[in-house]
Amino acid sequence: MRLIIRDDSDAASAYVANYIVDRIKHFAPTPAHPFVLGLPTGSSPLGVYRKLVEKYKAGEVSFENVITFNMDEYIGIPRDHPESYHSFMWKNFFSHVNIHPRNVNILNGNAPNLEAECVEYEAKIKRVGGIDLFLAGIGEDGHIAFNEPGSSLASRTRVKTLAYDTILANSRFFGHDLEKVPKMALTVGVQTVLEAREVVVIILGARKALALQRCIEQGVNHMWTLSSLQLHPHPMIVCDEDATLELQVKTVKYFKSIEKVALAQGFEQILPSKIRTGPAPETVIQAPREVEEAQSPTIVAPQPTTSRLLKASTPAAEYPVRSVSPDADLVPDRMASRIPDPSLTQRLTPGPEQSGHRVGAVGA
Amino acid sequence: MPSAIRPATPTTGITKLTNCRLVRGDSLVNGDIWVSSRTGKIVQSQRAFYDELIVPDETIDLGGRIVSPGLIDCQLNGAFGFNFSTLLDDTTQYGKKVKEVNKLMVQTGVTSYLPTVTSQTSELYHAVLPYLGPSGQQRLSADGAEVLGAHVEGPFLSPTKNGIHKVDVLVEAHSFGDLEAMYGQENITPGSDKPMPIKMITAAPERGAMTSLIPEITRRGIIYSIGHSEATFEEASAAVSQGATMITHLFNAMRPLHHRNPGVFGVLGKAESHEQPYFGVISDGIHLHPTTVKIAWNAHPEGFILVTDAMHLVGLPDGAYQWRNGEDIDHIVKKGSVLLLEGSDKIAGSSITLIECVNNFLNWSGTSIPQALKAVTATPAAMLGIQDTKGTLEAGADADLVIFSEERTESGLKLVVDEVWKFGARVH
Repeated sequence: MRLIIRDDSDAASAYVANYIVDRIKHFAPTPAHPFVLGLPTGSSPLGVYRKLVEKYKAGEVSFENVITFNMDEYIGIPRDHPESYHSFMWKNFFSHVNIHPRNVNILNGNAPNLEAECVEYEAKIKRVGGIDLFLAGIGEDGHIAFNEPGSSLASRTRVKTLAYDTILANSRFFGHDLEKVPKMALTVGVQTVLEAREVVVIILGARKALALQRCIEQGVNHMWTLSSLQLHPHPMIVCDEDATLELQVKTVKYFKSIEKVALAQGFEQILPSKIRTGPAPETVIQAPREVEEAQSPTIVAPQPTTSRLLKASTPAAEYPVRSVSPDADLVPDRMASRIPDPSLTQRLTPGPEQSGHRVGAVGA
Repeated sequence: MPSAIRPATPTTGITKLTNCRLVRGDSLVNGDIWVSSRTGKIVQSQRAFYDELIVPDETIDLGGRIVSPGLIDCQLNGAFGFNFSTLLDDTTQYGKKVKEVNKLMVQTGVTSYLPTVTSQTSELYHAVLPYLGPSGQQRLSADGAEVLGAHVEGPFLSPTKNGIHKVDVLVEAHSFGDLEAMYGQENITPGSDKPMPIKMITAAPERGAMTSLIPEITRRGIIYSIGHSEATFEEASAAVSQGATMITHLFNAMRPLHHRNPGVFGVLGKAESHEQPYFGVISDGIHLHPTTVKIAWNAHPEGFILVTDAMHLVGLPDGAYQWRNGEDIDHIVKKGSVLLLEGSDKIAGSSITLIECVNNFLNWSGTSIPQALKAVTATPAAMLGIQDTKGTLEAGADADLVIFSEERTESGLKLVVDEVWKFGARVH
């Protein structure tokens, strides 16, 4: 987890915008090798969009070969309704940059078959090779996209019913008429976000401080869906000082010092180069197996728990987390598989008749 | 293989103007506007993007300049040396002349207008009106300014408020047949294959049976405007309740405001019995005192329309010019921007452009730019009942635009016409 703390929301937004521009530039997207960007709506990313537009207008970045996928959209309001996320994206981003409409993907909340729409959306993401960078914001309750508290951390794109609190909060955009507020939405799942090669979250303001604290300092918990980010290989949270109000001083100082030391060493907290340039077709990882195995420790280094949540085929797991990770074949990660006893490969929790072996398993 | 789709090269005819200050209602809004030279309309950009997957052929950065709907002049007697009240020996030449005027007119920022024919003999109306009907059906930007239909100012006027109109040709109407006979039946009858030439009639309601004929005039889709009239407040009110929705050059050629009988001006006073009509005002600094203009605006800002009442002498050097007036040939003496009927002190129309009227009004009234522009865009469009297609920057309206830059001069703020767009294409 990278946590970048900036003095104010402007500086935090600028950091994210710069980061995205740098990523796109390093990636050097082409029609055959597009950069796939996941995008949020809401108030948090507004500053990021504004700065991205500025950079586009200043000629610093082109979105010509960028494909976008949006997180969510309401069900049952006209697409061009001023509060729809189609309108939000058009107003704040798409109308100002050179992105081609064919490369823009937003869930259709008026699709005749909403379930099919969700399935097709996931398929579309796969067809373009997965999302390279998913930008996200969070709610006060730590929700990511419309994955409100209690959402499955293994969820995928689906129909979600909005919490009554959310409907009440949204009514201000619909003339304070609860009847007009959409009650349902389509949203990507937690899993959909976690499958991106990189996730960048922008969190601004004191109102989000508790959510940030839960997601950084506490465990993975479906009541704060953003905390699932801890399972991702390459997450980054960018926040302003106000959002750190609930964090321990120690935590804040720790992350600030990491950034400082890294900078002093002459580099930012950068990603493995393969992620930066994307899954170019020719880059098949061919580890020189014999040599590698000889040098590796006898006990294979454990893969992160993500690999349990993320299947080996997902983009996020495409690249080794550590540069010395020896072999992609080892991704299926069960404690049992590390133990030579063949009987243990059958069950993770042995039955009573196998209790004798269990002692050994725990010891491993 | 994943691939980003490159913008397919077929052109869309759409131009995006970006970094604009758009005239929207009473404010200037920063934003973009998309126009199509194919449909000649302003494009609903979000819909074009998501539905038709369209990207503009070209993006033009206006650097924060003002984008206004094209200007509309409801009273223009002629321009660039051609007087619409002219009887040519070869009438086919008349149509050609009008087209020439249209091409030049558009450069002044006027994208549509009502060519105005003064009080003349029936012969002249019959001859010229067929050439003054609406010209925009083909939606060709190369045609220049669009004629919205003719404004016939007379001859059913008051002989005592004739202005420079020849008294001899002024007549009374007692039935609608009199109007048909005067203008030519086909020129005042809607339907058939061609649009009806006459769009607006200025007449004195107190003359003959005119007030009772107003419902039939408006029923045919023609605007009835009170003007050149001795009407009392009561008579003017009666005309308004019969359907008069416009007053031709307010204050000029009518009884002045009297505190015991406010005359035609009085109908602008709030009354529950009738709608307040629209009214034309000539803000050339000669026809009206600046304060008078301001009073008129304050009386009913939503009805305030600036008109030029310009003669064909706009842009010509000083001197005496021939002018056909009824059956006679008179002379108009041009001295600077003042036009007088030869041998009199009567004002003979103006020689001002519409944007000059706007600039005068801006500085006299201290009103905002969008409010001043409204008097030559949205308000005349509403008066003519074409507010959905003209005088607005809303999607779906005709893409008639003027791009202004601002100049600070000694006399104050001045709008300068930089570019003019007609039906989605730049024409100036």
